Amino acid sequence: MEYGVYIHIPFCRQKCSYCDFPSVAGHEADMETYTDALCKELSAKGAELSARGKASTIYIGGGTPTALPVPLLARIIQTAQAVIPFADDYEFTVEANPGTVSLETMTMLSTLGVNRVSIGAQVFDDAILKRIGRIHTSQDIRDAVRWARAALIVDVSVDLMYGLPGQTMEDLKWSVGSSMDLAVTHISVYGLTVEDGTPFAREKAAGTLDLPTDEAEEEMYDYLAETLPKFGFRRYEISNYARHDFVCRHNLGYWQDRPYFGFGAAAHSYHDGQRSANVKDIGVYIKAVKCGDSPAHTEESVTREKHIEEFCFLALRTAEGVDREMFSKTFGCEVESLYRKAIDELKTKNFLEETPTHFRLTPLGMKFGNQAFAAFLL
Amino acid sequence: MQTKNIRNFSIIAHIDHGKSTLADRLIERTGVLTEREMKEQVLDSMELERERGITIKAQTVRLTYKAKDGETYELNLIDTPGHVDFTYEVSRSLAACEGALLVVDATQGVEAQTLANVYMALEHDLEIIPVINKVDLLSADPEKVKQEIEDAIGLDTSNAVLASAKTGVGVDEILEAIVAHIPPPSGDETKPLRALIFDSYFDAYKGVIAHVRLMDGLIKKGMELQMMATGKVFEVTDVGCFQPAPVEVPQLAAGDVGFIAGSLKNVRDVRVGDTVTATANPAPEPLPGYRGVTPMVYCGLYPVDSADYDNLKDALEKLQLNDAALVFEPETSVALGFGYRCGFLGLLHMDVIQERLEREYHLELITTAPSVIYHVHTTAGEMIAVDNPAKLPPPQNIDFIEEPFVKATVIVPNDYVGAVMQVSQDKRGEYKSMDYLDTNRVMLIYHIPLSEIIYDYFDQLKSTTRGYASLDYELADYQPSKLVKLDILLNGEPVDALSTIVFSDQAAHRGRQLAQKLRELIPKQMFEIPIQAAVGSKIVARENVRAYRKDVLAKCYGGDITRKRKLLEKQKEGKKRMKAVGSVEVPQEAFMAVLKIH
Repeated sequence: MEYGVYIHIPFCRQKCSYCDFPSVAGHEADMETYTDALCKELSAKGAELSARGKASTIYIGGGTPTALPVPLLARIIQTAQAVIPFADDYEFTVEANPGTVSLETMTMLSTLGVNRVSIGAQVFDDAILKRIGRIHTSQDIRDAVRWARAALIVDVSVDLMYGLPGQTMEDLKWSVGSSMDLAVTHISVYGLTVEDGTPFAREKAAGTLDLPTDEAEEEMYDYLAETLPKFGFRRYEISNYARHDFVCRHNLGYWQDRPYFGFGAAAHSYHDGQRSANVKDIGVYIKAVKCGDSPAHTEESVTREKHIEEFCFLALRTAEGVDREMFSKTFGCEVESLYRKAIDELKTKNFLEETPTHFRLTPLGMKFGNQAFAAFLL
Repeated sequence: MQTKNIRNFSIIAHIDHGKSTLADRLIERTGVLTEREMKEQVLDSMELERERGITIKAQTVRLTYKAKDGETYELNLIDTPGHVDFTYEVSRSLAACEGALLVVDATQGVEAQTLANVYMALEHDLEIIPVINKVDLLSADPEKVKQEIEDAIGLDTSNAVLASAKTGVGVDEILEAIVAHIPPPSGDETKPLRALIFDSYFDAYKGVIAHVRLMDGLIKKGMELQMMATGKVFEVTDVGCFQPAPVEVPQLAAGDVGFIAGSLKNVRDVRVGDTVTATANPAPEPLPGYRGVTPMVYCGLYPVDSADYDNLKDALEKLQLNDAALVFEPETSVALGFGYRCGFLGLLHMDVIQERLEREYHLELITTAPSVIYHVHTTAGEMIAVDNPAKLPPPQNIDFIEEPFVKATVIVPNDYVGAVMQVSQDKRGEYKSMDYLDTNRVMLIYHIPLSEIIYDYFDQLKSTTRGYASLDYELADYQPSKLVKLDILLNGEPVDALSTIVFSDQAAHRGRQLAQKLRELIPKQMFEIPIQAAVGSKIVARENVRAYRKDVLAKCYGGDITRKRKLLEKQKEGKKRMKAVGSVEVPQEAFMAVLKIH
């Protein structure tokens, strides 16, 4: 059985103003012990993973993996290479912040077998980068991509954000154009959501967050959905666009009901009908692993009903949609028997379209994805 | 038990002044229940009553007490509902007694509701024993409260008992005072049977069980009895009393309190206040004071899922078995489809029924804003009673409209008199009188439309007096008012279920506020939704719910599906509480929005 591996690096040089992901800034002192713990957790799981077959994808995310000193990140990658059996055509992604990479970083990654980097660009306007709490400039992004290429990493993705404070359509067009100039192979686009507890949430409450209007944000969304395909980027998932076959197979695994194993603080796992997560707190995580305790706790047992729901609403994120045959093979019943009514209702709203083998969201359905997904809760 | 050793009494108290706790102590002290059996506040048995800390249905319990004089007494405690919605039920319970304990919180003093019930008890010539409760509290001032009782009610407090239902202090003294001061019932066993029904409930096995107080005659199993008001004839299959669990007894005689059951399937046949007599030797006259049930407040109840229409009907019928005051009839709304127009004694009664329907019968309901009954006099010279704003005749056919007014009694510390006057005037109240109960507590009386009470009069009173005001009201009369229908249009279509009848001078203002409130409550949808408030053809307010531009979660972070799922579940849950009105999804709260504006 194919599976993915996720490794979480919860450190950042600085927290971005919109970020509510599990990461901390200013914990350089913990980096080495964290690396020790992470390598120990990986080694302990090696035998179990080997018994399951080969990992097809591995993804080191954060936080900022490249916030770690190069030798520590190298140790993690080497440990992963040593204890996890990889398939021949494995995909190995590392997330990178342009403010924390150098040619040396990229060379190390490439040398150790990393074949994909995902660069957190967000925008190519220095004023906005500063406004949203990024530590890098637009020039840093260009350098990062060039260094990746110089290190012979072909598959380079950039993250772009829209709906940011002070951002205009012209800014977004500039960012898209700049990404094209760099000839990246993959783009992820994220609309800003103001999450509770972030600096932006506080600014919003204080009335100082100059967000674009809903209408302007919608125009940005529409622009991306229309423009990126014109540049040869296929929208293979609601927020993800790839040239040729440069999709992110690891992320596709999340949508396609494939098992994954998470390592490091706050990392999530899904296998054998269980969803679990490691403890978020770095200190607690380190201590648990040191003592030989499991840092994981079960979040939920995925019952048959939940499994059916998730199978559908996750697959609907992809352009391919829900594969009827795969559904009936997995659950022993036809998708019609449960969802005929939901499918018809969504079709009337022009949210969904059907083919003999699949049903999938229309572009409009993608825009109102939450409503479509909720219809698949039984 | 000889009649001279029977005492029938009630407890009169304001909410939170300790009635239920005192009842518990009396039951405990007389050993009806062992300590192990004793649950907190056994008399409030319905789950809702416990949660809200109020008594909705009255209960009775027979206590056996060996007094200091060496004799054994039968003390019948007749509990009374503690809310203004149930004034009539209270009056019937009091009519079954010879005496009452007046429980007043030693830290709070007399409240409006206490007064209303005391006056009612005095009307029934009950012997009243003041009980100053919570004397264990540091802030207790029993002497001041005694003085207040003397001044406000004119009651002699020389036999008042100082007690703490919480610690048990004074409980023995209360029991002795009941024996010493409350007269035994009078009545003649040999006269034709006359028994007062003061409560009833439906038992799944025995049918309707009636709580009765026998004034004359006696009741044995097997007798054929008749309800004098409803005419219903039935055979007695069970005779008993509550201790507090039902216990069968051979007979009930004049002066006794107990229950009877027979082939009674419908609580409607067993009206509170009705008189039971024997068909063999019927009484010539019923007991005085019977009154039919008159709902004061009406609202529409509609199932969110129209497939639940029959379930709603079944549930209402089941609740009605136990609640003679609940009335309902089918109603159709253009906006909401098929539902029921239901009549209630008051807002609490409405809340309780609605909550029971949702909780016990698992129904998702849309409740429309409550309405009083308007007397609409048409130009054709007819009078039509309108309980649903949507049914108001067109303005050109209306000569004038009358609305119900109440006499509202408000008691507050004198610092807040100004605030009470302001709120009452804003609510179209007409000042009647003001009296000082003591040096710093004032009783104000206003003549005020019932519809204003239903809206937010009490909430406003509470908030402007920092919770110190207590309110009681009784229906006074019907008087002409300048009233108009305020309509709401969503997406250009009038929504009948959102119509209200308002005072014409306030119509534009209310319309604006209602439209604003609806804008907050109605979530964004795929298209823009104009909300308009109109009086006749004149639009008095307009708001817009902007269209959804997009609705999709971006990143699914590192495989954290659980979080994503929770968001979707929340979204779905929200949708379940929505009703599609035309093409607009309207949340449940929107139909009550009119109650949330000032």
